[in-house]
Amino acid sequence: MTSITLNNVSLVYRLFEKLTLSAPGRRRSALGGNIAKSGTKQVVQALDDVSFELKAGDRLGLVGPNGAGKTTLLKVLYGIYQPSGGTISIAGKVDALFNIHIGFRPEATGRRNIVLRGLISGWTAAEIEEKMEEIIDFSELGDFIDLPFKAYSQGMAARLAFAAATALEPEILLMDEWIGAGDASFQEKAKRRMDELAEKAGIIVLASHDDALIQRVCTKKMTLRAGRVESLT
Amino acid sequence: MIAALNGAFDDISKAMRLHRVWIALAHEDIGDQHRRTTLGPLWMLVNYFAFVGTFAFVFVTKDAGNPSYIAYVAIGMLVWFYLTETITMSVSLFQREASFIQGTTLPLFVYVMRLTMQCIIRAGYSLAGCVLILLLGGYGINTNWLVSMLGLLLIVLATPAFVMVFAFLGAFFPDSEFIVGNLMRVGMFFTPVFWVYSGQEGVQKYAYRWNPFTYFLEGVREPITAGIFPIQALAVTGYVCLGLWALALLLLGLYRKRIVFLI
Repeated sequence: MTSITLNNVSLVYRLFEKLTLSAPGRRRSALGGNIAKSGTKQVVQALDDVSFELKAGDRLGLVGPNGAGKTTLLKVLYGIYQPSGGTISIAGKVDALFNIHIGFRPEATGRRNIVLRGLISGWTAAEIEEKMEEIIDFSELGDFIDLPFKAYSQGMAARLAFAAATALEPEILLMDEWIGAGDASFQEKAKRRMDELAEKAGIIVLASHDDALIQRVCTKKMTLRAGRVESLT
Repeated sequence: MIAALNGAFDDISKAMRLHRVWIALAHEDIGDQHRRTTLGPLWMLVNYFAFVGTFAFVFVTKDAGNPSYIAYVAIGMLVWFYLTETITMSVSLFQREASFIQGTTLPLFVYVMRLTMQCIIRAGYSLAGCVLILLLGGYGINTNWLVSMLGLLLIVLATPAFVMVFAFLGAFFPDSEFIVGNLMRVGMFFTPVFWVYSGQEGVQKYAYRWNPFTYFLEGVREPITAGIFPIQALAVTGYVCLGLWALALLLLGLYRKRIVFLI
């Protein structure tokens, strides 16, 4: 049974001062969040005491101002960031739509890019084979699929990236903003694909600034502010 | 410590299961670098011949035409180029892979193996050139070549450890990219790549005896050019390999989840 349970999850990381010869003010790298002092060290409290439970059928919308912790929470759920406190329990296969263009290589053909994208997403050779024609059909690239990716127009590149990224069968789907691509007619098709994807997924967690979208797609809404849960309705 | 090592082994075992990913990406990397050229990756072979030829026939004129010296330089260049390329590219590895590290859950060791694979493919072209030079120089294939292969194998085994150690160094100390690059350029003159040590005193003596790269080179070169089993060179290479792996595993175990916050 698909489920996500977070208990008092926090993400605190030390604001690392890189060993560098540059000026002191340029030595740090931070994700955002609250910067606080812990002894002599500066730390960032990116998430603080976040708890919630989702079960199959739940669609959670994450809202809040920039730097509130929406993307950070998605990345914690996906496993990119390891929480520094609390517990996370996830049952189900997690897929994420963060950056649909990741891994695309300008010199490789569209077909080769689908293979690479599949490998990066952990698909087997048989899965790549199985999804290949469907992705090509959906992207409407026709013979262009065997030309280098760099030869594509912006719209064509976006259609291929969208088709490959959304060829998923996720049990849990994490999204940082709703994605769309291409011209008006493709956008309509993309919207239908996203709706189908959302329908198929057991659980969705969607971070967005678009209230209307959250209202349309989600069954729950969590407001984050400075890494803390302000409200969950 | 145990938990850190377990974490490191877990990352490595996940990455090894994803071998198709790093092999495919490494091949694409090599292809991309030469895609618009006529000779393609054969340019790596041309570059190798150009360097060996320059050192053998132009730069060190007193030994020009001496087949044993040409073999000496050919093997020296093969190993040195491989080590230099591996180390200098490793320092900026995590920066180059930032979008993957921040956007996917691929194990960190995937990127280490991607670069290792790239360096091995490139070295394969130089190796082909080196073998050709040796054969033309009258060094027929014999059992000494097997010992030389053992030296190469040790270097290949050390490569992922080299990559990890220098990649973490580059993540924590970004200036090291330029420091290491310059040191490796200078290091060629402090390593017996093209000069021959024959008992001289002074800087050359220390550069020969206390430079670990000397042993990496000699472990591959001595079996062919001197016809001996380089027990000391192979032992030192083995110890360096073990030391590097111990350090690399520790770094991977302790810091692999922190890299995403550093790049």
